Amino acid sequence: MMDSPGAPPTLSNHRSIHGEADTPHDRWRTRLTPLLAFCQFEVGRLLRSWKFLAITIGFPVIFYILFLGDHTAGKVVDGTVPWRVYLMVSMCSFGALVAALNAGGTRLSMERASGWARQLRVTPLPAWSYVATKVIASMFVVLPVIILVEAVGAGFGDVRLGATTWAGLTLLLWATSLPFAVLGVFIGFLVAPEAAFPVVTGLMFILGYFGGLFNPVSEMPGSLQFIAHLMPNYHQVALALASLDNQTLTPSHWLILAGYVAVLALAIAWKHRAEEARGVA
Amino acid sequence: MSSLVAAPPDATAPESARPIALSFQDVTHRYGSRIALDRLDLEVLQGEVLALLGPNGAGKSTTISALLGLLRPQEGRIEVVGSDPRQAVADGRVGAMLQSGSGIGLPPGVRVDEALSLVRRLYRRPAPLAQIVERADVGSLLRQRTDRLSGGQAQRVRFAIAIAGDPEIVFLDEPTSAMDVESRQGFWRMMRNFGNEGRTVLFATHHLAEADEISDRVVVLNHGRVVADGPGATLKAAVATRRLRFVIDQPDRPELSDLDGVTEVSVCGTGVSIDSLDADATIRDLVGRGVQFRDLEITGAGLEQAFVALTGSGGADPARTVTPTPIASAGVVARDGR
Repeated sequence: MMDSPGAPPTLSNHRSIHGEADTPHDRWRTRLTPLLAFCQFEVGRLLRSWKFLAITIGFPVIFYILFLGDHTAGKVVDGTVPWRVYLMVSMCSFGALVAALNAGGTRLSMERASGWARQLRVTPLPAWSYVATKVIASMFVVLPVIILVEAVGAGFGDVRLGATTWAGLTLLLWATSLPFAVLGVFIGFLVAPEAAFPVVTGLMFILGYFGGLFNPVSEMPGSLQFIAHLMPNYHQVALALASLDNQTLTPSHWLILAGYVAVLALAIAWKHRAEEARGVA
Repeated sequence: MSSLVAAPPDATAPESARPIALSFQDVTHRYGSRIALDRLDLEVLQGEVLALLGPNGAGKSTTISALLGLLRPQEGRIEVVGSDPRQAVADGRVGAMLQSGSGIGLPPGVRVDEALSLVRRLYRRPAPLAQIVERADVGSLLRQRTDRLSGGQAQRVRFAIAIAGDPEIVFLDEPTSAMDVESRQGFWRMMRNFGNEGRTVLFATHHLAEADEISDRVVVLNHGRVVADGPGATLKAAVATRRLRFVIDQPDRPELSDLDGVTEVSVCGTGVSIDSLDADATIRDLVGRGVQFRDLEITGAGLEQAFVALTGSGGADPARTVTPTPIASAGVVARDGR
């Protein structure tokens, strides 16, 4: 067998591969196999770290339940949206933000400090696959948070929706959480592990507050409303509420969310290049 | 002396016939104003086991980072298995074990076998799992979680990861720095065996003994330059010079120069000072010839001290001016002479 210690030097019997003409199909397979392998590994690793998941998922749910006790039953937001619906959607948005920032920011930052990320850099796994996998893995944590908050909303939050509406809302909230996932990965790239926790916690509440998750934007003073309109969570919630109200979804919300994804992706690429030039990473 | 210039023990082919595994041509890299690689030239042949020896800050890690495409040097050209370092990495033709800094360099929260099978799947033509397990001696660790390994165990797993892709070349940056003596010996064996299969191994170390024990060739780096280059035994001989001092009533210079191992003799009245590459042999010879010496004193150049001397110990004067003499006298082969 090849495994015997005394095997003769079989230096690269596999090098002949370089002489073969690869078909386009082969090339794609070659590129995608590492990505799929790493995705599977990362998602598996994330879904098994139950302590992390319990905290990440549990925190927004408990937060929501605390808010439910508020005496706001009959209140209406923006003239049309019942408070209880606004609250659930906001808490979904908050939960998605928390999950994405924790999964990307805190964990990635620690992983990079441990030298494992650097070890992966010297395997054939392309850098973009690494980043893409981290974003995908974060999205996998975001989904159960959204579903769980919705379940609490249906069970205790007095939110009644049809099955398709629930499904549509879930998908919309999930898709519009992509900017948070990319933001989390960017923070993981940017900050040292000691700084990750305060940065993530700070961002969570700053984005949450100014994004109008704890108090509707329409009830903010004018200057704060201007800031709120720059926050990704505001646009996510606006899209979700519009969809529930059967309004047309304003393209500007989508554009701003897509802008966040694009700018943050560029920022990650920039950080990666800068590290390469300095020879760290 | 002839043994000092012997070819590496496992040379399977004439060196000229062996392909070049990697090369540096005039490579310069600075971190700010500090120079890390100073017009470095280096050529390593396929199948060589090469130790990159030098004090901290000599440029060892920078050299390895550059070989892996983790950093692009500002000037010069590097080739690894005939291509750009990054291409070589992307093609899965190299493996590496880097310094992990504060962490263990392994993914937390998974078992060793899971980490290994992930890394294998990143390569097009990985080595069979059983082969990796045997080469890196990780059979008993497969079911353990990576965050529960001891330092030595973690290094073995990291070695397994480095060789998982069945690479032609493997780079190791101070792989044994955190190990106890016993694990270190085992690790040396693993590296050596891997090199014996005709693969190229380049490892950085600041332990002279480590360099000597496992490599075919030692390249001493200081201030980003090659200050010595040759088989380990030669280098060791070069730095193992001892100085013997004693008193004889009537020193006979020609006879003293003829003693075993002697490289230099100086006589001052009845006092004699001899530099020897092999102090034991010199003394045996003295006794054998019936020379009546007294007040014998042997000083010198322990390996570490000699190594410090060789690399100039960071003084203002780079080692260049210090080095050539002892090295040349001991027969270390210069790059060009290979």
